[in-house]
This record gives sequence, structure tokens and C-alpha cells, in this order.
Amino acid sequence: MRLSRSLHVWKMGTVNYLEALKLQEKLLSERKAQKIGDTLLCLQHPPTYTLGKRRTEHNLLISESELRNIGAQLHYTERGGDITYHGPGQAVLYPILSLREIGLGARKYVEQLELTMIELASLYGVKASVGEKGETGVWVGDGKIGAIGVRISGGITSHGLAFNIDPDLNYFKHIVPCGIADKRVTSLRKETGTVLLTEDVVHDQLISCFARLFGFSDLIWRENGLCSETKDL
Amino acid sequence: AVLDGLKYAKSHEWVKHEGSVALVGITDHAQDHLGEVVFVELPEVGAAVSQGGSFANIESVKATSDVNSPVSGEVVEVNDKLGEAPGLVNTSPYEDGWMIKVKPSNPSELESLMGPKDYTKFCEEEDAAH
Repeated sequence: MRLSRSLHVWKMGTVNYLEALKLQEKLLSERKAQKIGDTLLCLQHPPTYTLGKRRTEHNLLISESELRNIGAQLHYTERGGDITYHGPGQAVLYPILSLREIGLGARKYVEQLELTMIELASLYGVKASVGEKGETGVWVGDGKIGAIGVRISGGITSHGLAFNIDPDLNYFKHIVPCGIADKRVTSLRKETGTVLLTEDVVHDQLISCFARLFGFSDLIWRENGLCSETKDL
Repeated sequence: AVLDGLKYAKSHEWVKHEGSVALVGITDHAQDHLGEVVFVELPEVGAAVSQGGSFANIESVKATSDVNSPVSGEVVEVNDKLGEAPGLVNTSPYEDGWMIKVKPSNPSELESLMGPKDYTKFCEEEDAAH
């Protein structure tokens, strides 16, 4: 018998990268201690470049001061994966899940994150697919539309995925995205042309694809940090 | 594959007691669930580890996963080969893909771990539940 599984969804608007990181750390501990259930953060970041645990700084093509001059931040993280860019127009999902409870290993978890983005793209008639061997992420031809970088600690996930709805793709020129040199970066806007894209709607659809693929039948929404709980951030 | 002569932890690490030293790594089940290993971060020789505590980190398919020690003690050796050949964890999880050697501080901890039969059953139950 399959019990109904609940997902707490936080729709957060634009959040500074470090703040989001601190929030994830907090939720991660609480999830480990089983004080909270599976949680999903949906947000976007101001222009931010991030590095993974391997610190592949050679894939950052500008200096830190030039980076600051273009109004961006740089952060080092404990997630897997190479360098990437986050910014307005890009939907970010940070699932804080207990992989043991869902019965997924790292590989299957990443595959399902990829499927989530592939499904979302298909809602707009865009045929996206997984990359070639070693190229994790979601692609439309040789254009990368979605990126993944995950951390699993004590069986609990943090970090997650980033899907390009309509970000300023010029920001990607300053890095070798995900360390893959000979491919482009693309977005839903680029692949759909004149179709009207309402970001809030796309966020909801992304959350919905995620929930369905991961078997969450019950969604508990918390928007902009406001909800009926009395706990404060 | 589950080998005889080893003890297993619920978080899918194995330990082999060889005299005064315990050899530690992750199981075949674990490497299969992780996917292709691209990077292994090991502790320094001399570091302390505790049973159930994280001692290493493995990166596979854009995910970093921590690895827990099945025993407490002091790290006396780490597998340097994993720096250049992290894939050994996938191809040879019980031999060439070993991760650390520990001088156990409390050998009785081994008794709380599972034997090969119990571990095999544990994996079957875990995989079947979903």
C-alpha cells in the first residue's frame, strides 16, 4: 500500500545565494533530525556564479573584480558539478529530501531531476533530452537548458537544479558552463520563440512536474515565507 | 555482490578487520546507486573517525555524497590511487577501490555491524520497499 506523500513547497521569489544556502543547511539538519518532512524550495537568484566541491576555478573566464563590476557574486559550494551561473529568468529548485525514504540512490535522483526538466520543456513543445555520457543536465540539441548540482549528506539532498526560462544568456559567456567547452547554453525563451512565457506559471509547472515524478501527492504551499506555521526563518 | 569475511553498515560501507587495522570502503550496492564516480575526497592520515560519522566525500554524476565510517579510530592510511582513478570505487569496490585504513579505537563496534547474509537481506528489503 502506497501512503500519500507530502511535500512542503516554498515559493520564494528572488533570494540571495548565501541566504538560500543558510536556509538549506537549516532545513537539511531539521530533515535529518526528522523534525520536518520533504521540502522543496523554488526561487531565483540575483546574478551569481557558483563553483562545486572540486573548485574548478579555471572555468571562470573573468577575474573576481570584473565579476563584481558586472554586478555578480561568486560562491563556493559543497555540491557536485562544475561552475555555473544563476540569475533572474532562471528557475531554481532546491529539494531537501530524504533519499532513503524515497528509495533513490544518487544516480536515480539526478536522473529524475533531469526528467523533471525534460517534462517541463515538453509542456512547451520543446524536445529536451539528457546529455551524452558524463554530461549531466538537460539539452536541446547542443544547447544546455537545465543544469544540476546536488549534495547528499546523511542521505538528505540539498542544492538541486536550475532551468533557463529566459535569463540573460550573456552572463554564461564568462564561464565554461559546467566545464563543457564546445556546447552552447539555451533557454525556454530561445527555443519557443514568440510563445508567451509567464515565469510564475512556469515555476508552478516545474514544481508540478517535480511532484508528479517524485510521487508527492500532497503539496503544502508556503509563499514568500508566509504561512500558517509560527516558526520563523 | 556481497563478500564473505566483511562486515557491513546500514549506510552501505564495508569494513575488513586485518589484524590491528580495519580496511574500509563502500559496497557494490552503494557504487551502483551512486553512478560513475568522478572524484573522491579522503581524510588526512592521522584524522579521527567515528562510527556513523562522515569521513569522506564521493562525487558522481553531479552529486556529492558523504561516506560514513563503520568504525571509530584513527586513519593510518588512505588510498592515494583514488586521486587519479576514482572509478576504482565502481570497478573494484572491495579491493582496489578501498578508501581508508583505520586503527580501531573500539573493536567491539564491529559486533554491531551486519554480516554478509544480513547485509544481502537488508539491500533486498531496501530496494523492494520502493
